[in-house]
Amino acid sequence: MSLKNEEAEVVIKVKRYTQEKGFYWQEYKLKVDRFTQFTEALRRIKSEQDPTLAYRASCHMAVCGSCGMKINGEPKLACKTLVLDVIKKYGSNVITIEPMDYFKPVKDLVVDLDDFYNRMHKVKPRLYPSNEVLEGKAEHRLKPEDQKVLWKFAQCIWCGLCVSACPAVQEDPEFLGPAAHAKGFRFLADPRDTITEERLKILIDSAWRCTYCYMCYNVCPRDIEPVTAIKKTRAFSRLAKDKTEVIKTGEKHTEAVHSSIFDSGKIMGSRVYLSTYGLLGSMKEMIFLMQSGKLKYALVKEKAVENIQEVRKLLRG
Amino acid sequence: MEKLSYDAVIIGAGLAGLMAAHEISKAGYSAAVISKVFPTRSHSAAAEGGIAAYVNGNSDPNDSPDYMAYDTIKGGDYLVDQDAAELLAYKSGEIVELLEKWGALFNRQPDGRIALRYFGGQTYPRTRFVGDKTGMALLHTLYERTSGSGKVDFYFEWFAWELIRDESRVRGVVAFDMRNMIPFFFKAKAVVIAAGGMGMLYRHTTNSYIGTGDGYAMALRARVALKDPEFVQFHPTALYPSDILISEAARGEGAVLKNAKGERFMTRYAPKKLDLAPRDIVSRAIITEIKEGRGFPGGYVGLDISHLGEEYIKERLALAYEAAKTFSGVDATKELIPIRPAHHYYMGGIDVDITGKNPDVIGLFAAGEAACVSVHGANRLGSNSLLETLVFGRETGNEVVKFLQSFTEPSSDIDKEAEKAEQSAYDIVKKESGVHFGDILEKLRDYMWEFVGIYRDENGLKNAVSEILKLREQMKNMYVLDKSKVYNTEFYNALELKNMIDLGLVIASTALNRKESRGAHYRTDYPKRDDQNWLKHTIAYLSGNTVEITYKPVKMTKWKPEERVY
Repeated sequence: MSLKNEEAEVVIKVKRYTQEKGFYWQEYKLKVDRFTQFTEALRRIKSEQDPTLAYRASCHMAVCGSCGMKINGEPKLACKTLVLDVIKKYGSNVITIEPMDYFKPVKDLVVDLDDFYNRMHKVKPRLYPSNEVLEGKAEHRLKPEDQKVLWKFAQCIWCGLCVSACPAVQEDPEFLGPAAHAKGFRFLADPRDTITEERLKILIDSAWRCTYCYMCYNVCPRDIEPVTAIKKTRAFSRLAKDKTEVIKTGEKHTEAVHSSIFDSGKIMGSRVYLSTYGLLGSMKEMIFLMQSGKLKYALVKEKAVENIQEVRKLLRG
Repeated sequence: MEKLSYDAVIIGAGLAGLMAAHEISKAGYSAAVISKVFPTRSHSAAAEGGIAAYVNGNSDPNDSPDYMAYDTIKGGDYLVDQDAAELLAYKSGEIVELLEKWGALFNRQPDGRIALRYFGGQTYPRTRFVGDKTGMALLHTLYERTSGSGKVDFYFEWFAWELIRDESRVRGVVAFDMRNMIPFFFKAKAVVIAAGGMGMLYRHTTNSYIGTGDGYAMALRARVALKDPEFVQFHPTALYPSDILISEAARGEGAVLKNAKGERFMTRYAPKKLDLAPRDIVSRAIITEIKEGRGFPGGYVGLDISHLGEEYIKERLALAYEAAKTFSGVDATKELIPIRPAHHYYMGGIDVDITGKNPDVIGLFAAGEAACVSVHGANRLGSNSLLETLVFGRETGNEVVKFLQSFTEPSSDIDKEAEKAEQSAYDIVKKESGVHFGDILEKLRDYMWEFVGIYRDENGLKNAVSEILKLREQMKNMYVLDKSKVYNTEFYNALELKNMIDLGLVIASTALNRKESRGAHYRTDYPKRDDQNWLKHTIAYLSGNTVEITYKPVKMTKWKPEERVY
């Protein structure tokens, strides 16, 4: 065995920031090899070329979540990204590094994560075991298969990349964001937890505000799949009390999609819309559609697929 | 200078610091935790393989806490304080059960109880784990627990710089808010240093970038002793070339070390324990293989886990698999993982007893890697460090509570001392020219690796001491180019370097002083352990450029030193 090594000269363009100067770009040239991580490139820039460059980094093995930033526009952990891989992917030796989107800039690649931490703490991120267990009168047993499911969602490293990349977070202040939902679900689904009702109150309304764009799924460096946590949280919707309009609409929409597929094997847009938003809401929407000349699409008559019995069998599971 | 006042200030937000803070605040005392990073970014997150514990009713039927203490003592080459090892072993079960209660997602046996696996130097398997991200899992559990009560104040991204003391007792800490460089004097009745380790002193290390030995240096400057500073652990299996840790769990699960000829070379070095011999022995074996020409080009050997099967690897050794793939381009389900030893852990630390109390200054405590209890002696066994942070973090917290209960207010004013500490930090910002931290740092890391590493000898160590003294002189000309007050990381890097140089001098000097080989301290010119002269703890103070060395006896309870064979 011998590891293949390659070397390259790279130009790293860093989008820097100070309160006085605002944003500006600065270039650094350095030699990298096949194994150089971006955290190591930054460390070398700082100790060999320009000590004034500010960034965060700690573990350099993708478990501490310090080094979230944008590399050639992609939200990434700098430690988990090799310089040579990016050169190859983009076919260029010039690479840009920018701070994460959405969060307020502090200095260079360092952003203010207070908003992120507030989101995480809102979901009561800790187990509330029974008094019997706390007093030592009972012990927890946890099935290996439950441990596996929970561990998947417990591996969030609070890096903030998913929130920085989430369009719903920017549009909807009531939406908790992907990371907080992953964390919230990890405890909601834990059979050892005792405050399910309270958790539902915190999570369900927000869960229906996700737009399923899958950005969080794409950028998560730990493959947590926050969007999957949100889907699974929605499945708890029926247990929620005092349902908000958002929850009711979400449930109706799911119901409508289900019955549309059951009947025809397809999602029939106009029918789903009508069942979700009711006649009045849909008529308002029709006016917009008419104005934009798209009404014809809403009025297309859909036929059921041929093997509809097969589809129904699948749906009944 | 701005002032704040707390019953206790804890420096460091890793497992030891958080556990101490939890205990102190639970007893109704005010506690502040100061950390350079947000708590979940602490180096505890990087611990992988597991936490050793004898759990009543859920251990090997032949095992006992006594065996666990014995393994720890033998592993540490008899430099372990045996009362400390016993406490560690006897409290291990309840600490794991406590973390479980708080929600830690330990891997399970089919019946729902916590699973266990083998680690190096263990007579029976007793390591509890969460995949191979155990540190991360426990750190998140404990942070989430501690932050929920609202009783602990977190000052994260704050840089603790100087310990403030009077003639006899600790009076607080001067720390900077990293966002704006504003210094604060945290007045405190008790201070717990839980600032972790010092990996950045070495060219090759598995440690986080934040491990710069701040706690040790802070103690040294406050005329507090370090115990056993010459004992530095190297981990045998760091990924080549990035030095990312490949957990010992891999070998615990059956991985085999192979040289370039395909030989299972551990048969030569530890015929009984083979790949599961303690870390010092395996590290030296690997370096010997490489030196004698049986390594792969570039200087590494291979770790074979391919026979464990893809599914098993991806569940239990996920991080090892991922790291090998991402950082070395190797598919561990089919190929050898390229590894070599790298610095990993510091057995030495701030001198404390089994309650975490320091004998030099009243009100000063230390826990975790920053402390030397001494529970690891000359070489730490795998999965004992996570255990130590929690067991002794808790013991220390409880001792702080006892201390606070009997506390009497000192009368003397101490504000001038705090202002002096602030000034000493600012001096490097005010200079207009000189050297930058990077110029000195890279040399220090090379000297430490070259001369104060896995193999040591008189010439190398003397060389190291004199070179480090030169760097210390150069450091007086260090200056900071970045004049901004906002998140000025250059300023903090310069302070870290000051800390590293002070500590480096103490490590090299005490290693030169100990003329024997014991555990991780291996002298080629004195290859034998010498109990007659050296079965004693080193106690080191730093005074100017002089390292003052005295000794302390090792506490023995049940176990007499014997030859260490595996």
